[in-house]
Amino acid sequence: MNTTNTNTRKVILMRTYFAYAGMCVFACIILCYLIKIQFIENKKWIAMADSLSTKEFEIDPVRGNIFDINGNLLATSLPIYDVIIDAKAIGFSKEDTFNTYINSLSEKLSDEFKDKTANEYKKLFTNLRKVGERYYVLKKKISYKQMRKIEKFPIFVKGRYKGGLILEERNRREKPFSQLAERTIGFSQKNVAKVGIEGAYDKYLSGKSGKRVMQRIAGGTWIPINDDEQIAAEHGNDIISTIDINLQDVAENSLMQVLDSNNADWGSVILMEVSTGEIKAIANLCKTAEHKYEERFNYAVGEALEPGSTFKLVSMLAVLEDGKVKSSDLFDTEDGSHTYCGKEVMYESEKHGKGKLNLQQCFELSSNVATSKAVVMAFQNHPEEMSKYFKKLKLDQKIGLQIKGEGLSYIKTPDDKTWSCPSLPWMSIGYEVMVTPLQIVTLYNAVANNGKMVKPFFVKKIMNNGMLLKEYKSETMVEKICSDENLKKLRNMLEGVVLRGTATKLKNINYSVAGKTGTSLVADRKNGYKNKLYRASFCGYFPAENPKYTCYVIVHNPTKGLYYGADIAGPIFKDLADKVYANSVQLHKELKYYHTSINNDLPAIEKINKDDVKIILDKLSISSHLHNDSISEHETDWMNAVKQDNSVALIPVIISKNEMPNLKNMSAKDAILLLENIGVKTKIQGFGKVKSQSIKTGEKIYKGSIVNLQLG
Amino acid sequence: MIHQQQSKPSSVDWLILIIYYLFVVVGLLCIYASVYKETNPLIYDNTMNYGKQLMWIGISSFIGLLILLLDDKFFYAFAYPIYGLTILLLLAVFVFGTEINGSSSWIRVGGFQIQPAEFVKFSTALALAKFLSGYNINFKQFNVKAIVAAMILLPMLIILLQNETGSALVFVAFSLVLYREGLPGWILLLGVSLIFLSVIALLVQPLYIVISLVVIGIILLALVQRTKLMILLTVSIIALSSLYVSSIDYVFQKVLQPHQKSRINVLLGKEMDLKGAGYNVQQSKIAIGSGGVLGKGFLQGTQNKFRFVPEQSTDFIFCTIGEEYGFIGSTVFVILYLLLMWRILFLAERQRNKFNRIYGYSVVSVLFFHFMVNVGMTLGLMPVIGIPLPFFSYGGSALLSFTLLLFIFIRLDANRVNELRGGE
Repeated sequence: MNTTNTNTRKVILMRTYFAYAGMCVFACIILCYLIKIQFIENKKWIAMADSLSTKEFEIDPVRGNIFDINGNLLATSLPIYDVIIDAKAIGFSKEDTFNTYINSLSEKLSDEFKDKTANEYKKLFTNLRKVGERYYVLKKKISYKQMRKIEKFPIFVKGRYKGGLILEERNRREKPFSQLAERTIGFSQKNVAKVGIEGAYDKYLSGKSGKRVMQRIAGGTWIPINDDEQIAAEHGNDIISTIDINLQDVAENSLMQVLDSNNADWGSVILMEVSTGEIKAIANLCKTAEHKYEERFNYAVGEALEPGSTFKLVSMLAVLEDGKVKSSDLFDTEDGSHTYCGKEVMYESEKHGKGKLNLQQCFELSSNVATSKAVVMAFQNHPEEMSKYFKKLKLDQKIGLQIKGEGLSYIKTPDDKTWSCPSLPWMSIGYEVMVTPLQIVTLYNAVANNGKMVKPFFVKKIMNNGMLLKEYKSETMVEKICSDENLKKLRNMLEGVVLRGTATKLKNINYSVAGKTGTSLVADRKNGYKNKLYRASFCGYFPAENPKYTCYVIVHNPTKGLYYGADIAGPIFKDLADKVYANSVQLHKELKYYHTSINNDLPAIEKINKDDVKIILDKLSISSHLHNDSISEHETDWMNAVKQDNSVALIPVIISKNEMPNLKNMSAKDAILLLENIGVKTKIQGFGKVKSQSIKTGEKIYKGSIVNLQLG
Repeated sequence: MIHQQQSKPSSVDWLILIIYYLFVVVGLLCIYASVYKETNPLIYDNTMNYGKQLMWIGISSFIGLLILLLDDKFFYAFAYPIYGLTILLLLAVFVFGTEINGSSSWIRVGGFQIQPAEFVKFSTALALAKFLSGYNINFKQFNVKAIVAAMILLPMLIILLQNETGSALVFVAFSLVLYREGLPGWILLLGVSLIFLSVIALLVQPLYIVISLVVIGIILLALVQRTKLMILLTVSIIALSSLYVSSIDYVFQKVLQPHQKSRINVLLGKEMDLKGAGYNVQQSKIAIGSGGVLGKGFLQGTQNKFRFVPEQSTDFIFCTIGEEYGFIGSTVFVILYLLLMWRILFLAERQRNKFNRIYGYSVVSVLFFHFMVNVGMTLGLMPVIGIPLPFFSYGGSALLSFTLLLFIFIRLDANRVNELRGGE
């Protein structure tokens, strides 16, 4: 009993020792392994640890978008991708995978990029694979759409680590409307002066970059590690600008057309909302070396220049406010010239006298002599009084715009060294002073806005993920630029310019315009005023009675003969005003009812759909009747229309299903409908009405025949 | 004297307690190092996992103290109810469970998540100990074996269903206890053979294995005396082995998920997938390997700093030891673990009470299994199955459950001392 007990005990102890020995053996294995890793292979692992160098990378935030007032995208960031190949990835390194898929991959890449043949791609990959290239830049800047496509290509579809396809994302700034308002939308690049809204609101648009720890693997590739450790980038805020892309489009196109047809150097258009100062459109185009027009410089904001006759508004305001000169006072334009200070001769632009003019007439006809005489009369003895008005109208200082690069105006005062005897008369007609186009438009806008001068602005709202972050409201610069009485006089003068003066071309029945032309002789850097360089401009507002928009147009150096403000700048103003008018119902006057009577030029209406013709005639309130000696109108869908007395007679036409009808003068839509009804197919070329048909009238037709129609 | 049944501090095994706290504190430092950032050096920060771990150390110590103050009969008396309760908790996961990191074995209670699978370990140990220490229990009886198997396999199965393969495998460790209590050696041999065959089956084409088995069989039969029984036995072993090998291959090819296959392939060295299962191991080896003899020093490990090793604070905590404390530190760690095993084994063997002894063996088995698999996988010796390193790894449930496991044994052992005293 005892021995068995001892035996059992022994067996059990054996088992215990055995178990513990097993543990010790395992511990030994661990220690051996540790020795192997930490001593024998130590260098290898350290090298690997070093090769796994890590770095904190910045994650670029997505830049905010810029929208126009109606939510159209003006500038946005689109992701672009660089395609990089890791030829050591399994997809490439594994013999059978590579051989199976390389042909189809090469073909697809060749199809997609069209830069290399499939064979060249195959060669390239075979080579990369042989060399063991781990970071080969295959293609740069592909679009998101392309990226999604090539991701699904054979081998690549296995992903980054197996398929060897590394896609590096970057953001590219896109302006969907490309050139429209380019300088005002601007740009913001590293190491380049920042321009426009992009530059001025960089702080808001750019967002905050994030951080991510990346690790370098062999071949110089950095791969991100630890997704949870990264600081996400804060994306930029969106900006809603005051620009209206539709008006901008008209402004830019119209300006482009005028510049081009007059071969001008540059031009600028500004459209401003009267009550708020919001800039609805701002276009600047200048001629490039290749004789194209592009936005290169924001003239409207940045260029201070001699304004010429548009500046006469300032003179009139000063003279009227000063009060020494009466509205009824007459000024003699002599023979079209007047000599100041004994030697400086001032001419009228037309070189002949205009008789004796009161202030209103003087302004309407833009008389240099009369204007300068009035100003000289009022301020000759105390020219500093005149300077007070410049100051009051804030012409001597920057407006303080939201965007950078505002030009510095230059307004002489009698204390200046450059001030001389003729300074006053010349300043009165817009020479020897320099102001920016935006300053002029701001001034005219103040007149339109009942004397309240508001600051022009471009950016309305800053949005963060659809939430309003900041809103810019209209800012008043001067509460009242002059007395109500004088304001009324000024507005009469501006209206008079269009009604009777230099800008009668802008008269139109839909809306009234008030404004002032400017045609200034520009000093050339080399030859002074001798070269006869002109700058045509027009600044005005509409509708004159209840102004909604102020617009300034300036065209520099038109060289095709025309140079008057009304001829050059006027059409652009009109285009823009027409567009605004067409789009804003509130500007429309009550529609007068025009009775439409049929005159002799009723267009040829042949084989028109009978329902259509009735609708049209009904809308135009033209009476119609069925032609007397005709078949019943229920037998056909088609009518000819002829003028008969004071009404339109409709003659039903029977179309045979077997013979080709005469389609001449039919509208394309009707012709197709008619032919479809009789089972003939059509092919169309050109625009307008049917001029000729490939199957002649009366020829036999079969179902499915094809007829070519030439429109014209 | 009945009063003396209450344990006194002097009768607590101080060595185990010291090792326990040494482990827990070093573990905390490793967790701190593995998530350390210069910008946030506070050690107690509830939002970081070392802060939480510190809190759990506090909770575990408190519960540990409660255990030491409990009557030792409590565990014997309540072994089954505790077992039942934890099984219920385990089942509750199916109803109230939340998914964390792809594992659906968690229950959210307030701000905490607990993993019932961790707590079944000590309760199974208790239940097993109580059953086997029962009067008239003979391990040779079939129904005893069946009940024991059921006790172990039940939680194992439930945990497997919860996709926690690692935790389920831990229950294999109880076979060591059964071995000590008289489980025939051939069953263990069978188990080992099966594992060996499985590995071979995955490495070599089954056909070659069958051929080699046949060749070995023929050589064997040529060497020994050929009795009918011998021939029959050899032939049937070869036949069964061949069948088994083929089925292993089939399961591997057809049943296993690609990521599971990949893990196995990486372990067997058949595949180098540095971005998949092999990545952790590769990173872990770089960390340990670059540690060298003396290590880089506390908080100096570059591998931790950028958190190269995924799950470094939980399953791969050992590589922080390897990197920051080097070979010396790792050796000390291994020796301390062996010391702990030896101490528990030694104490278990000294128990008069069968219940205490079996429980002690269970503790050693479970701890050792964790140690073996966890450290093994960190070094690339074992497959990557996510089980924590006891007392070191980050995780409240794990720390608390290992604390319970160990402290119950300390309590039971303390009573042995008292029993001796009482006897004097």
